[in-house]
Amino acid sequence: MLIMMKTYTFHVSGTHCAACKILIEDILGEQNFIKRSKVDLKRETVEIETDSEKNAEKLASILTSKIKPNGYTLSVDKIVETKKDDGVIWKAIPIGLVFLVLFFILQKSGILNLGIGGKTTPATSFIIGLIASVSSCLAIVGGLVLSLSAKISQDKISDTKTFLLFHLGRLVSFAILGGILGLIGNAIGISFLFSAILGLVASIVMLLLGLNLLGIFAKNKIALPSGIFNFFRKIEHETFTPLIIGFATFFLPCGFTQSMQVATISSGSFMSGFLIMFAFALGTLPMLAFLSFGSASFAHGKHAPLFFKSAGVVVIGLGIFAFLAGLAGLGIINPLFSI
Amino acid sequence: MNKTVSVIITLGLIFAVGIIFAGDSKTKNTGQAVQNSEIKSGIQYITIDARGGYSPQISTAKAGIPTKLIIKTNGTYDCSASLVIRSVGFQKILPQTGETEIDIGTKNVGEKLQGVCGMGMYSFQINFS
Repeated sequence: MLIMMKTYTFHVSGTHCAACKILIEDILGEQNFIKRSKVDLKRETVEIETDSEKNAEKLASILTSKIKPNGYTLSVDKIVETKKDDGVIWKAIPIGLVFLVLFFILQKSGILNLGIGGKTTPATSFIIGLIASVSSCLAIVGGLVLSLSAKISQDKISDTKTFLLFHLGRLVSFAILGGILGLIGNAIGISFLFSAILGLVASIVMLLLGLNLLGIFAKNKIALPSGIFNFFRKIEHETFTPLIIGFATFFLPCGFTQSMQVATISSGSFMSGFLIMFAFALGTLPMLAFLSFGSASFAHGKHAPLFFKSAGVVVIGLGIFAFLAGLAGLGIINPLFSI
Repeated sequence: MNKTVSVIITLGLIFAVGIIFAGDSKTKNTGQAVQNSEIKSGIQYITIDARGGYSPQISTAKAGIPTKLIIKTNGTYDCSASLVIRSVGFQKILPQTGETEIDIGTKNVGEKLQGVCGMGMYSFQINFS
């Protein structure tokens, strides 16, 4: 029996990232009447080869129902996008800047500089964690969490599970690393250089993701190098990646984390180090959880475009701050500011 | 929101960020009067407090005599506890509470010594004259 293969080209909307191409092709490829599918991100089209007898409109609606949960739509005719976007960015810039101004005022106010004397106990380290989570460490750790979370939510990846794994990975690895530090009793590789370089890498990731959230890269769809896209794609499927990122935050340059590491070293036993570091990570949890789950709920709400762009502005601001501070910390440039 | 309104608000906010960062340099200058060095048995000791930044941010000291820096921490958990003084190769996370003595040798007239915290957002400077 001869099977007639037909080729159709549909317009696709909602493709804002290179990973979308892979995702759409995957989903369409799973349908048994589709032999081949190819997404052209530049032209925003999908070419499919099918043995189905249905007409183009029918196919478009069937396939749309498959990829709709991921936020894409297929259509025979090109949907002319309403140019609301231009308005959104003009709202997003001031909103983002307001958050940046509030953040820097908070840092400068000195409210966060309350000294906590005495011996470091799990209770004090919990309080220090709470302070650290809104301190200048937020610029780098929080900025990274916000940018990754917003990006993950934007890419329609199963975000709740990813975020839970990230926070779990963070709590567990802080506790275990704290325990190890307490047990060994001296610094294992808390290297300034290493954490400073890690900080620079994190700030570059923030800048790239920030620009991406703003949609500056979206026009030509090349956005980030494919390596980073594969990385995000892995986040979707692998439970491992968010755990690792949670683990890596232990080494990000943050004065509070480093001080806690020293306190842990002098704590004397695995259990005390474990509890101090766990309590510290627990203290930072509310703010970081708010950032990640907050972005997820905004990302699924009706103000999503505004949220992504505002988050982009905030992340870029924090990224620039963290990058310049990182360079100053390495002695490459003179400290430009002291907050 | 109107585009023009937005641009005006944006410029205002950028101005505010500028004040937050630049406003500090003024307090730096007035802070120069702080007397934080003393000479005991031929050694000059310069004391700097580290908590939520370094104070004084700019201090002056005498050149030509052996000098030691005393960094005082008092319940310091923030970035200022992780101190880097590149010119003398000092890199350490200071104890939460205590005094850390750092030998910085003898400096010449016009030399500057700069300390910065590990993340780079706090710094101090000592001018030798």
